[in-house]
Amino acid sequence: MKILVPVKQVAVLDEDFELRDDGLDADPDFIDHESNEWDDYSYEAALQIMEAHGGVEVVPMTVGPEDAEESLRRCLAKGGERAIRVWDDALTGAGPATVAKLIAAVARREGADMVFAGTLSADHSYAMTGICVAAELGWPHVAVVTALEYQPGAATATVHRELEAGLVEKMTVECPAVLTIQLGINQPRYASLRGVKQAKEKPVDELSPADLGVSGEELAASASFRLRRMFKPARGQAELIEGTAAEQAARLASIIKELRGAA
Amino acid sequence: MSPLDTTESAQQITRILFQGFPGWLEAAFYIVGFSAIGVFLYGCYVQVRKYRRGRPLSISPLGRGVWDMVQLMLSHRTLSRRDPAAGHTHWLIFFGFGLLFLGTSTITLEYDILAPLAGVKFWYGDFYLWFSLVMDIAGAGLIIGLLYMMYRREWLALPKLDYARPDRGPQDPDYDRSGYRREDWAFLWALVLIAVTGFLLEAARLVWLRADPLVWDYRWWSPAGAAIAWLLNATGMSAEGAGTLRVGLWWFHGLLALTFIALIPFTKAKHMFTAMAALAIRDPRPAALLPKADLSASGIGAGRITDFTWKQLLHFDACTKCGRCHEACPANATGFPLSPRDLVLTLREFANDTLSSAALPAGEALAAIGTGVNQVRPETLWSCRTCAACVEICPVGIEHVPVIVEMRRALIDMSSMEPTLQKVLQNIQTKGNSLGENKRKRPAWTKKLDFKIKDAREEPVDVLWFVGDYASFDPRYQKVSQAFARILHAAGVDFGILYEDEMTAGNDVRRVGEEGLYQHLAETNIETLGACTFRRIVTTDPHTYNTIRNEYPEFGGRYEIEHASAMIRRMLAQGQIRLKKKLDYRVTYHDPCHLGRLNKGYDPPRESMRMLGAEIVEMKRTRDNSFCCGAGGGRIWMPDPTDKQKPSENRMREAAQIDGLDVFVVNCPKCMNMFEDARKSTGNEERFQVMELIELVAECMDYDQHGGAAGQAATG
Repeated sequence: MKILVPVKQVAVLDEDFELRDDGLDADPDFIDHESNEWDDYSYEAALQIMEAHGGVEVVPMTVGPEDAEESLRRCLAKGGERAIRVWDDALTGAGPATVAKLIAAVARREGADMVFAGTLSADHSYAMTGICVAAELGWPHVAVVTALEYQPGAATATVHRELEAGLVEKMTVECPAVLTIQLGINQPRYASLRGVKQAKEKPVDELSPADLGVSGEELAASASFRLRRMFKPARGQAELIEGTAAEQAARLASIIKELRGAA
Repeated sequence: MSPLDTTESAQQITRILFQGFPGWLEAAFYIVGFSAIGVFLYGCYVQVRKYRRGRPLSISPLGRGVWDMVQLMLSHRTLSRRDPAAGHTHWLIFFGFGLLFLGTSTITLEYDILAPLAGVKFWYGDFYLWFSLVMDIAGAGLIIGLLYMMYRREWLALPKLDYARPDRGPQDPDYDRSGYRREDWAFLWALVLIAVTGFLLEAARLVWLRADPLVWDYRWWSPAGAAIAWLLNATGMSAEGAGTLRVGLWWFHGLLALTFIALIPFTKAKHMFTAMAALAIRDPRPAALLPKADLSASGIGAGRITDFTWKQLLHFDACTKCGRCHEACPANATGFPLSPRDLVLTLREFANDTLSSAALPAGEALAAIGTGVNQVRPETLWSCRTCAACVEICPVGIEHVPVIVEMRRALIDMSSMEPTLQKVLQNIQTKGNSLGENKRKRPAWTKKLDFKIKDAREEPVDVLWFVGDYASFDPRYQKVSQAFARILHAAGVDFGILYEDEMTAGNDVRRVGEEGLYQHLAETNIETLGACTFRRIVTTDPHTYNTIRNEYPEFGGRYEIEHASAMIRRMLAQGQIRLKKKLDYRVTYHDPCHLGRLNKGYDPPRESMRMLGAEIVEMKRTRDNSFCCGAGGGRIWMPDPTDKQKPSENRMREAAQIDGLDVFVVNCPKCMNMFEDARKSTGNEERFQVMELIELVAECMDYDQHGGAAGQAATG
């Protein structure tokens, strides 16, 4: 019984940032990286199943450059014995469908029984990757899972999804399946720095798309959309009204008059 | 001059042991005596076996510790602090018991060893008479001391002696501590009875032998016995009657004393040994320098009772339940489920439960953290502020803070912590600061200055200012950092900072138990500092000061470091800071734990304030008894429950009792953060201000300094 948990190292932007010259991304000088918060929850969900039952293996994986290994080490610090990193420089800027193709290839190669992905990633927020993996594998999927009952090896899993206004949807999904996990489903554990250091001893398999039998043409063909431009919206102007209550009221009145006059 | 009448043979002035006893009765006594010693030795063996089940630890050099212990025993200094009556009466008990024990040993030395083996006798004549006098004084001292202790327990009803537990409720099976109270009373009564029957026995012997001038004429060398003998004579007691009484008392006294000796290793009486040992092996800086953990080992911290060192297991047995730590602890004072005393006693009971039998129980039975009987609860461990008020006042040298931090290390390893703390630790891992701010924003506070602070990474400086997290990011304290920068600049100090490359120094990261992250921070900062050229370090943050001063050397970072208050005092004294006015404030000063108790920096801030002209009114809890603001030990990263008083509020109420207080002076960024809030939440916003020492200096300083000390370096 094996659970594959795809994780992502996400970009964190400075408050004041600038765009790259080609306008397709932020300038890397203003970007820090960290593990995607949703993936803490999906990995925790997998670890809890592993700890509650015997014979369960949890394998974290990522599609990303060497820096992204840090996210895998953080996973291994919490549990699990090995990880997989897929990369080729041609994957820079790859979209969710392309990444999903590679995750699905790993799932097949590993003979995974379940895939737990995060609902979305904090930087791009497509919320697509997990769903695309299900499509690639031809497995059923449930998105935005807020509770999970699953016995390893069972034919079905029972999950909750939280909808608008707190409405809860309870459903049964046939396994194997892809679940995308929502924040708050559990309390993710802490990866101590000692654990992260000790996890450096654990193996991380490095694979290229070719190793997984995915050709460059297939990757190129899988792109479901093209990013045209990134831009900063014009900032709204805010004014802090100061002074005594009377002064503040007078200023507020003049602003309202001004706006009415403009309308 | 000899007290003896020269016509009598000095040899005959003595006490004949076992006088009038048939041989078989004397033999019976020896059988009982050796049995008692046997039980005593077995008890010692069981205790030592228990301690040896802890982790090994080598302590060297031992000589100085033993000498310190002897001095402390003789002076009773640690026992008399903050409770002189208890200290002085314990002194009477200690010396009374000690002398009586030495006296009995002296008799044994002659009667059982030197006389039969070498024919040497010395217990007669002048020596015997002086001996008798000293023993009587010792016995009287012992009784007076014990009676005071009884009075103290029964009539003073001190809260610190009621054994009420903040970490357990009445529904818990290990809540009840009445067994301790019974043991206390049994201990006192046993000793009182031994001492009193000793005097009665002495008197009965005198009356029995009143016809013998060699005994009767010298009776006043045993004044207590002689006085009682006078009373017995006055009642018309016959010599034969006194002889019978003597035999009965002899056996009662002897059996009680031997029983007491046999039970020493099993009862609170063992503190005679454990407390002395604890003092002899105590660490001079137990809270300031925490033990370094091996990160490559399979486990970390003290999750099991056997993870403690033998020294810590001995400490658990050294506690005499005096309750001074219970009284001093800020967590206990504000209703948190922690009393340092109960923590130590819980671990003592747990060690006795698990480590006393011949076989060591396996695995989980040794888990010292949990919610079971005699396990320490996680919320107890998280209540600690590592302020070291307990360590400071413990009369027997128990080191609570490292015990708590070792257990926290195990909790962190199990990821058992407040979610807010987890978030902070994650932030520090990725961003190098506890506030979750972007690294690049660390020097943002310098933008408000009209000069540029030197970049110590780029050019050599005389003074490297290690700013710290709260001093860099906390909006209120940023004003203090800016003021300190202006003071240094105007005083002509050649100083610089590390800008974006400074990471939190890690003092509190270590104290919450994240040792791996702490070591990473220390190593990274030491590497950064290693690439800079400077003569010494200064910081306004006592936490940063403590860890760089005491803990960085273990990681290869040896620096001359000064807290800002010491630097300010020096600059004021040497005229490097010149004043344009003096303060007419009435102020009180709050000693930060990490500057005061942990590093003894009590005086520089006070001397500085005096030089500024401020009138200092001390709070009751001051200097080594300062009451923690509540932020230490990483508690600043954990929310305090809203239904309890915060330690900072408790402190604000104490300060508010000072008539006409203008300013509550702090000397630490974390104290500032705590007290600015507490001043508002206790309704003292209109009554007084919370200010940093640095802000007082800034108020008085003449920034237009020309020539003189200011001319030493370019002022930009």
